[in-house]
Amino acid sequence: MSGPWVEKYRPQKLEDIVGQKQIITRLEKYVGEESMPNLMFTGPAGVGKTTTALALVKSILGEYWRQNFLELNASDARGIDTVRDRIKNFCRLKPVGAPFRIIFLDEVDNMTKDAQHALRREMEMYTKTASFILSCNYSSKIIDPIQSRCAIFRFAPIKGEEIKERLQFICETEGFEADDKGLETIVYFAEGDMRKAVNVLQAAASEGEAITEDSVYEVVSKAKPQEIGKMINKALMGDFLGARTILRETMVLQGTSGEDMVTQIYQEVSKRVVDGKMEPDFYIDLINSIADCDFRIREGANPRIQLEALLTKFI
Amino acid sequence: MLWTDKYRPQTLDEVVGNNKEKKIILDWVGNWKKGNPQHPLLLVGPPGIGKTTLALIIAKEFSEYIELNASDKRSQDVIKNTIGESSSTRSLFGDEYKLIIMDEVDGIHGTNDRGGVKAIGEIIKSSKHPMILIANDFYSKRLQSIKPKCTIIKMAKVRSPSIRKALKEIAQKEEIKANPKALDLIAKKSNGDMRSAINTLQALADKDEVLEPKAVEDLRTKDDRSDIFNAITGVLKSKNPQHVREALRVDEDPTLVMEYIAENIPREYTKKNEIKKAYENIAKADLYFGRAQSSRNYGYWRYASDFMGIGVSSSKKETYKKFTKIQTPTIFTLMGRNRGKRNLRDGIAEKMSAKMHISHSIAISMFPYLEIMFKNDELAWEISDFLELEENEIKRFRSKKIPKKVITKMEKQKAQMRVEERDKRFEELQNQMLNTVPEEPEEKVEDELPFEIPNLESEETVEEETPEEVKEEKAEEKKEKKKTDKQVSLFSF
Repeated sequence: MSGPWVEKYRPQKLEDIVGQKQIITRLEKYVGEESMPNLMFTGPAGVGKTTTALALVKSILGEYWRQNFLELNASDARGIDTVRDRIKNFCRLKPVGAPFRIIFLDEVDNMTKDAQHALRREMEMYTKTASFILSCNYSSKIIDPIQSRCAIFRFAPIKGEEIKERLQFICETEGFEADDKGLETIVYFAEGDMRKAVNVLQAAASEGEAITEDSVYEVVSKAKPQEIGKMINKALMGDFLGARTILRETMVLQGTSGEDMVTQIYQEVSKRVVDGKMEPDFYIDLINSIADCDFRIREGANPRIQLEALLTKFI
Repeated sequence: MLWTDKYRPQTLDEVVGNNKEKKIILDWVGNWKKGNPQHPLLLVGPPGIGKTTLALIIAKEFSEYIELNASDKRSQDVIKNTIGESSSTRSLFGDEYKLIIMDEVDGIHGTNDRGGVKAIGEIIKSSKHPMILIANDFYSKRLQSIKPKCTIIKMAKVRSPSIRKALKEIAQKEEIKANPKALDLIAKKSNGDMRSAINTLQALADKDEVLEPKAVEDLRTKDDRSDIFNAITGVLKSKNPQHVREALRVDEDPTLVMEYIAENIPREYTKKNEIKKAYENIAKADLYFGRAQSSRNYGYWRYASDFMGIGVSSSKKETYKKFTKIQTPTIFTLMGRNRGKRNLRDGIAEKMSAKMHISHSIAISMFPYLEIMFKNDELAWEISDFLELEENEIKRFRSKKIPKKVITKMEKQKAQMRVEERDKRFEELQNQMLNTVPEEPEEKVEDELPFEIPNLESEETVEEETPEEVKEEKAEEKKEKKKTDKQVSLFSF
């Protein structure tokens, strides 16, 4: 009883972290040292970047980790000035009961280049009192001067076997049943993302019955934006305005991100070609456009405009 | 002197309209005067209807007032330094209240400093003085956390006959001759904004001439959006690059112009391949706007501008011979209409991000799973409790309220767990005291400091149900805690 399992079952110690063994071994060397280089954790969502950072902080700073630790989300609406102010105020004070202080900045790749340059200055200014742990999905979006100031750790997607083990552990602790097929289905959908796996597991478990392949499928299909198929159908029938309206509503009302939309569209069309409901030639043309769209969104274009343009390829 | 100041109402009676609201305000003032502290007043309503005027009138009822325009510079420190101290300490001399007026709480710019809102929240919490907050937009994100702590007074636009009447009085006092129809027109055009009406009157007034309706029309005929509408028509209706370039020379945010063009492409163009081609150009324009922004090389804008201008215009074979009404992008209306919903969503995401170490976007991507989990009554309670969700936030995930029975049951369980946890911690502490060097300083409950004092709220619930011994034990435990606290801190310095 403590709310979301993703939080309840977040490993607290370095040695408990699932996967990423090599990274953990290297990080453990910093424990007990007088200083630590700036670190950058890069990798896809749900592979343990934040968990590792938190566990590392706790082992390094020990009992007084709370007092000597600052966690900031770099990409959330706060401006860089707020981030800088908070870093400044935090770094001005000497570490208490710990060798140094640690600042954890999440999603640095969503910061603008300007903000990253500002951050770089902050990193230089407080090298004596504080170390930074930066986390991002794509290190390519981080400016070189920051990268060169960090030891970079690349987190890989977690292996299916390891996710399954963790899910089994949770099932045992929580005392409910899950059959092998069910767990494997979760692993399949999670694609190496532990957070997603645990969320699907808890959602499936919340229905109160044992977890089976069917119950997992049900959760996954319920959790999907429902309108994607409808949107694609409209576009295929030539109703671009109608399709565009669905797209806008989904993004505004559900808050679905551009990257998620791309994934959903990809899954939807690739299902159609496999089921023989779409010509392979047309499909490959679409994939070309989808891939372009995906790349542009990650590069920093406006996801909605790019997706609207993508929809025209269906008509 | 501005007439809006010169003729600013000095008493509540002179304020036009909003009679019910005035009554609430009178009661509020009366209660303070009787020494009954009240929630802060939050005056919300469109500009120019007398919110600040009302606040200033109320100020007369108190010995002193401090006015702060929150949108000037509203960093946490400024707010705290300016009024933070005076708000929690009362004057040395007698029981005189100071009124704190904070204008433009919802601010002009959206996101720059959250600290300000937080500081206002804290001041509300600690203030022993009457406060009036003023804001324009009821649905503003900034107000979300403030609203529950305030008495909200929603003020309506001023009706145009009332405005006309006020204009007439001012005109008489200023000895201006005006055609009643002109005043009527000003009143109507002001759209409920008394201040702008008076300003318009002052701008047009001339001692030697009679004010005629014609002058009013001349002053305000320019539609703010006419420029952008011209630009869009130029792009969609023309195929001549020179015309297109000229049309796009507008004093507007280019990405806004792009939104307008994109919106209207499928409304003007009907051939599929033309829509495709035109939209591909929009996508490229957008790409270069993005690149310009992230590289800070705004030279890229010229490419963007050509993609969305000449690119879109040349995507059609021939110009269409039809009349298309240029439309405002539906995305804006969609976002406007759903602001309440979006703010609610972002509020929840904010809570999740604080409690679960995740970003807003990841928090939002978890919503569909939460919707499924919330079908389970007990789990719904657990998660809401964990995230400290408010009732309306719970409603985002389930339409039915969590049954009372479940709530009581879960609250009991939680209290029980707290007691057990406490006992366990007490034992651990005892062990620690015995072996001065503990082998494992942090046990399972690593997430919380072992001597953290449980929050008051749960302590109260526990107290109601715990037998005497447990209470005693608790007291003892507290003592223990203090001891360890001190010892540890001795070590560390």
